Amino acid sequence: MELIHKELGDGINLYLDVTDKFKTVTVNLYVQNKLGDEATWYALIPSVLKRGTSTLKTYKDMVKYLEMLYGTTMAVSVYKKGERHFQQYRLELPQEEYVEENVFEKGIKFLYELVFEPFTQDGAFLKEYVLQEKEVQKNLIESRINDKTKYAVDRCYEEMCKGEPFAIFELGKKEDLDLIDEKNLFEYYKKCIDTLPVDIYVVGNVNPEYAEEVFRKYFNLRRKEVLEIPFTDVRKEVKEVKYVTEELDVNQGKLTLGFRTNVSPGSEEYYSLLVYSTILGGGPFSKLFMNVREKASLAYYAYSRLERFKGLMVISSGIEVENYSKALDIILKEVGEMEKGNISDYEFESAKKSLYTSLNAIKDNATSKADYYLSQKIAGTNLGIEEFIKKIEKVSKEDVVEVSKKVKLDTVYFMRNKKEA
Amino acid sequence: MQQVYDEKVREKILFEELENGLKVYVMPKKGYTKQFAIFATRFGSNDSKFIAPGDDYVTEVPDGVAHFLEHKMFEEEEGSIFEKFSQLGASANAYTNFTTTAYLFSSTENFYENLKLLVHFVQNPYFTDENVEKEKGIIAQEIRMYQDDPNWRVYFNALEALYHVYPVKKDIAGTIESISRIDKDILYKCYYTFYHPENMVLFAVGDIDVDKTLQVIEENVRQVKKQGEIKRIYPDEPVEVHKKEVVQNMQVSIPLFNLAFKDTDVGFGGRNLLKKSLEVQIGLEMAVGRSSELYEKLYQEGLVDSTFGFDYTGEIDYGYTIIGGQSKDPLKVRDIIIKAFKEKSFLDRETFERIKRKYIGKFLRTFNSVESIAYSFINLYMKDIDLMDYLPVLHQINFKDVAERVESHLNEETSAMSIIYPVK
Repeated sequence: MELIHKELGDGINLYLDVTDKFKTVTVNLYVQNKLGDEATWYALIPSVLKRGTSTLKTYKDMVKYLEMLYGTTMAVSVYKKGERHFQQYRLELPQEEYVEENVFEKGIKFLYELVFEPFTQDGAFLKEYVLQEKEVQKNLIESRINDKTKYAVDRCYEEMCKGEPFAIFELGKKEDLDLIDEKNLFEYYKKCIDTLPVDIYVVGNVNPEYAEEVFRKYFNLRRKEVLEIPFTDVRKEVKEVKYVTEELDVNQGKLTLGFRTNVSPGSEEYYSLLVYSTILGGGPFSKLFMNVREKASLAYYAYSRLERFKGLMVISSGIEVENYSKALDIILKEVGEMEKGNISDYEFESAKKSLYTSLNAIKDNATSKADYYLSQKIAGTNLGIEEFIKKIEKVSKEDVVEVSKKVKLDTVYFMRNKKEA
Repeated sequence: MQQVYDEKVREKILFEELENGLKVYVMPKKGYTKQFAIFATRFGSNDSKFIAPGDDYVTEVPDGVAHFLEHKMFEEEEGSIFEKFSQLGASANAYTNFTTTAYLFSSTENFYENLKLLVHFVQNPYFTDENVEKEKGIIAQEIRMYQDDPNWRVYFNALEALYHVYPVKKDIAGTIESISRIDKDILYKCYYTFYHPENMVLFAVGDIDVDKTLQVIEENVRQVKKQGEIKRIYPDEPVEVHKKEVVQNMQVSIPLFNLAFKDTDVGFGGRNLLKKSLEVQIGLEMAVGRSSELYEKLYQEGLVDSTFGFDYTGEIDYGYTIIGGQSKDPLKVRDIIIKAFKEKSFLDRETFERIKRKYIGKFLRTFNSVESIAYSFINLYMKDIDLMDYLPVLHQINFKDVAERVESHLNEETSAMSIIYPVK
């Protein structure tokens, strides 16, 4: 897989992955920042930008424009990887040979205006756009609780990382919204686009010279100072396991366990840890699936997953509230089995094969590819998919047992129904 | 094999019906890393009353059987079938909806071995009293999980509001009570009725060899005679909606709503159903889509947010539209939308042409992923619709068709409202 890299402006990188596999060209533009006190402000920006550009002043005008480009899709989102905070702007344009010419350039110009030329009035964002988007963001923050499965995992991490930047929710805090207006948000936005690194990944059948030329026309921005976003600190010793219970109006209990691994995302140990977590809870072959679900019939789902960039692992399962102790015992027993090295060849080989399949599958999805490249970049590893697979191949059972010693339980979070008064 | 090549999308699909009645479709996708195969039967949560071929009596089974059966198919005498797929590096899965149960895998190597395994395991039921009992605990937790999912609840409450008796109003997994009545005999009865090759379809897609794919399927499928028709018995559903409003309280921060519309122009599949579905979708897009005046107004007034959306479900025997999202004032949203459907000022030719253009791009995108191709194909197949008919039918639709469809399907009378309010 050849990724062509061009620097378009100061701290503005273009990456081209030329492939004729897809019927669309997918462009992902990422802006990254340190996850911190500005999170609420930073998260609000994409929503406001999506409301209007200098030439297409309303959201409706923007959508109409994209509909004329054969339903080009636009999506903006905000998320975190470790303690890096990302804004993502994505366009998916039809491949010109299936529709008509010039769609690509129109799309890229649109993307540029979306991020760099918002609709403004008197040197600020439009007041009503900011007011409305603040309200939407407030609702989105409050409605986190609607999705109990995700909420349980988020809450576990929050309790676990209290006081660390990672505990900050990707949409920030409700209270901060009161401090924001169209003027100070615009000032903050300008600071962001003047200083934050921008990475653009293009996946599709484009002529590299032509694509570069089109991008240079718009994204050739001179910037004085581009910030370097620091690596996330993954080191933290667990002194005592925290137990947190939250009572909500629910039927099912959610048992969530948070672990510290102290493994940094760019280290060789990371690959052992990935195999470790996959054996433990990464599929139907895994210890958690087999023991919590298939043998004990306690749950429909039970899995483990890594947060690579903060060096965390989470185990999550939906159970009957009264089965809390039973489920917790089984889960901890299986974690213990890993440390003892009680790993069958079947579990070990299945986990590795499943990782190869997921890694290879990335090649068939344009946005997964972009996300993969981005993750490689911020981990500082810059491995191609084949090289990544080679790293997994090299992991031995001994490596897995070795890394298991670093995995320490930090927090047990339990969401349950309300106790009868 | 018969071949259909579409010049516009530059894709081809090959087809063959085997002697036992199984339909096989293969789509070669050069350059793709992933292979994907899906083996599906026309048996969904709606099919709980039927006369099996050769029987002279009606069989009625507890709700949730199709889904239960799907779970149990993964078990074989020698262990879990997941294990074998895992050993081959593939990931297997299955789903059950109102009309269909489908088994599938995706792989990046060992495609033909995986395919053999898929064909084999779906044709080999192994149910015991013990393994059926064990599954009840797992499915109970699946049901519980959905009970706590407000988006799922608001949707099924909307169907409860639309339908008096039609089984689409029932939860796909059944209830904890109904699954408690399932035993191995019931499962075998349903299995032998609905998992006959004649009632099934197999679709495979990826950078694969067409002849070899067909050969693996032919060699591993049961050589049986056609069984004849399964008589499915569905209750007569009145035209009117069942209830105008269904309300539930849950742990949510802001109310969720589904405004539903009952489609009563039903009873046909194929190109006509595809045409109707596109007419409704285009109409909805024009009325409440992201580029509509109405969405702009609702959004600016803070009545809806980015969770707002809409969808039309068009099956052979029933159909409905759902418009939903979260809102601080769902009833006001309903009134505004109903009023707009009455006035129909959103119906203009320029918008119509633009939305049609959008749908061309949307269709092209389907072909970007082997999964989305397979899911779309099976979904349409169950309605007797050919995936490759999409563009020709889309081109055929004119402005008047859409206007008439909006008039007949989307109005106050056909509507019902489902709301989830926060607990006090």
